[in-house]
Amino acid sequence: MIELRNFSYTYGTADTPALKNINLEVQKGELLLVTGHSAAGKTTLALAMAGILHHELGGKIEGSISFKNRDIKSFDGMKELSRHTGMVFDDAESQLIFTTVEEEILSGLENRGHPENEIQRRLNEVMELCEISHLKHRAPHTLSGGQKQKVALAATLALDTEVLILDEATAELDTQAVRKVFSVLKRLKEAGKTIIIVDHNVEDFLEIGDRVVLLEKGEIKALKSPSDFAAFIEDSDLSSNGREYSRPQKEGQPVISVKKLTQRYGDFTALDNLDLEIYSGELVAILGENGSGKTTLVKHFNGLLRPYSGNVAVKGLDTSRVPINELVKHTGLVFQNPDNMLFEDTVEAEISFGLTNTGISGSQAAEAIARSLELVNLKGKEKVFPRHLSRGERQRLAVACVIAMQPELIVLDEPTTGLDAEESDRMMKLMKRLQQEGHTIVMVTHNMQIVKNHAERVIRMVSGKIVEDSANEIPGSLNKEIERSEGKCAEGGVAV
Amino acid sequence: MKEIMQYINRDSFLHRMNPLSKIAAVTGIILLSVFTTDSAVLGLLVLGIFLASLKAGLHQELLRQLKLLVFLSLTLILLTIFTLKSGETIGYLIPAGTLTAAGLVPITTGALDFGTVLSMRFFAMLFSFQLLVVTTKPSDLMKALLEIHIPVDYVLMFVIALRFIPSLQVEGQRIHEAQLARGYNPGKGIRGKIRSVKPILVPLVANSLGRTQVLGLTMDMRGYRSRQSAEKHRLSWNRTDVAAVGFVALMGIGVLITGIM
Repeated sequence: MIELRNFSYTYGTADTPALKNINLEVQKGELLLVTGHSAAGKTTLALAMAGILHHELGGKIEGSISFKNRDIKSFDGMKELSRHTGMVFDDAESQLIFTTVEEEILSGLENRGHPENEIQRRLNEVMELCEISHLKHRAPHTLSGGQKQKVALAATLALDTEVLILDEATAELDTQAVRKVFSVLKRLKEAGKTIIIVDHNVEDFLEIGDRVVLLEKGEIKALKSPSDFAAFIEDSDLSSNGREYSRPQKEGQPVISVKKLTQRYGDFTALDNLDLEIYSGELVAILGENGSGKTTLVKHFNGLLRPYSGNVAVKGLDTSRVPINELVKHTGLVFQNPDNMLFEDTVEAEISFGLTNTGISGSQAAEAIARSLELVNLKGKEKVFPRHLSRGERQRLAVACVIAMQPELIVLDEPTTGLDAEESDRMMKLMKRLQQEGHTIVMVTHNMQIVKNHAERVIRMVSGKIVEDSANEIPGSLNKEIERSEGKCAEGGVAV
Repeated sequence: MKEIMQYINRDSFLHRMNPLSKIAAVTGIILLSVFTTDSAVLGLLVLGIFLASLKAGLHQELLRQLKLLVFLSLTLILLTIFTLKSGETIGYLIPAGTLTAAGLVPITTGALDFGTVLSMRFFAMLFSFQLLVVTTKPSDLMKALLEIHIPVDYVLMFVIALRFIPSLQVEGQRIHEAQLARGYNPGKGIRGKIRSVKPILVPLVANSLGRTQVLGLTMDMRGYRSRQSAEKHRLSWNRTDVAAVGFVALMGIGVLITGIM
């Protein structure tokens, strides 16, 4: 179906090639998984196979790509290629052009000139398949990240192209939604479609994959069968090394105390009569599917939201009375997307923004900047333009901006979304270190692996309610083992 | 947060109109308001548009723009007072006896008239355009614009600009929250507004620019360049369509005739 021969590619503005000497053949009906770390060339490879490099982006191209036994260059631009290939990109928001979900899906169908009843049939089929029928008349900006990704996927599926390329198209979906996408793709594969899944985490799709391409620095490092690949990642699994777990003290005044908290948006109840206490030194994970109220809850921790009813206290301060710029001295909240906060010209200036806001300046500020940069491993990047940093570095800079202000509680909303395994691990090590330095850590996530490996206390939310609040067994038992091996008395519970 | 310039899913008589006739009427209104200097004609236009919105139950939408429009009008009137002197002098901006014996900056009837005309033009244009946008599905708007042979690139530009208004609002809100979490407190009033520009606008613009590539590629992948439109259900003209276009055309003819005579 698609064949790359000695293919190398360099972006117009870059010095080094993004892809080097790629030889790869994708068979008709194959499901190919492409994985690798950030900047390994995964997206570039996806763009190459779609024909976008040749027809839209330019840059330096060597070698050749043939599509359906024809030189990809000989096609009449994306105009012709888009009849054969559908592609879903990682940024869901940018793929939604219209003001309702229905129009979004119809747009592609109408462009292809299908007859009216066929259009309606496909529309309904695809919406049902992706479980978005209930969102039919909703506007894109009212959808959650996961819902947007489902719509972007549905709009591409509706086109019914013979080749389907998904570039990190499931990053924001929760486990349940990924499972659904899995079954959709399985059906498409059975129907004879050629599917290419590009993701830094392809584990979810190994079962239906035919081959796994592992990219590293623009080259194919390995081409394995899914079972070999599974064994390969098992060997290099980062989670197997032991970790230390400090025991939280559940004494004295809680850092966060939530009592009968309810939050409403119009008729929608986002939080429903919640009670929660978080104590100093804890490392808590708040888990839940998309739209379960996780982010809404943590926005109460620094006063971004005020209770509709009920009460939230941060270090004894009632959030409905204390101004937000006072509360942020106690609670540092790091949002999911670092690009929503970076605006200064240097890394240093970026961190000092928060310090100036809270009245720290001079040598005290310089010290805080140096210390926080060291903590997040960005020392030496003081003068770099923040947007020139990699995604993982930007995420760590966002954390640095918050920890420089020395808040006791650090809240991270989806700290690992968009990060590869290596960067995620680095982020979690940082969390651990901050905990050891005496901070209380709360992270909001839908990444089960992270929770399993790192959290001590797990709070699970379903439609605005806490349905589970328990010690994480795996780190818990590990904790006990460490304590035993150190000959300490493991009295009391661990990480309740 | 209230959305501005977004399609409102309802079933009013304006929604049922043919998008093409709405576009024709709005274009007519815009042309009329540019070419006429008669405040009576303009007043009639604004009144007509407002009555239409009242009937469709969308007057609240228009009234939300009132603050902006009143501010704009006052600025325009002030500007014409400074720059235009014709007709009778009815007073002074700086009254006689305060700085000079005769008073400074005379307010003339000519300036007031012209300022009012300018303001009403904006009222008519903005109100009619807003009614078009909130009562027409973007996809219908797009089809209509393509039907009158406006190049697809321009049509997409227009539709996407409309579509991203609320997204930018949401994103602006998110950025605002992220900066609040860093203890940012720009303060109130004009000074606060100016100080808040950089921390909010820089990420907003940078993020938007970063988004353009994926947006462009998505449109290609959905086949916009190779559009083969098969319009099976062309929207038909109804009585309102005829009335709306007819009314605007009639006013245009009226203005033309009075202009000639």
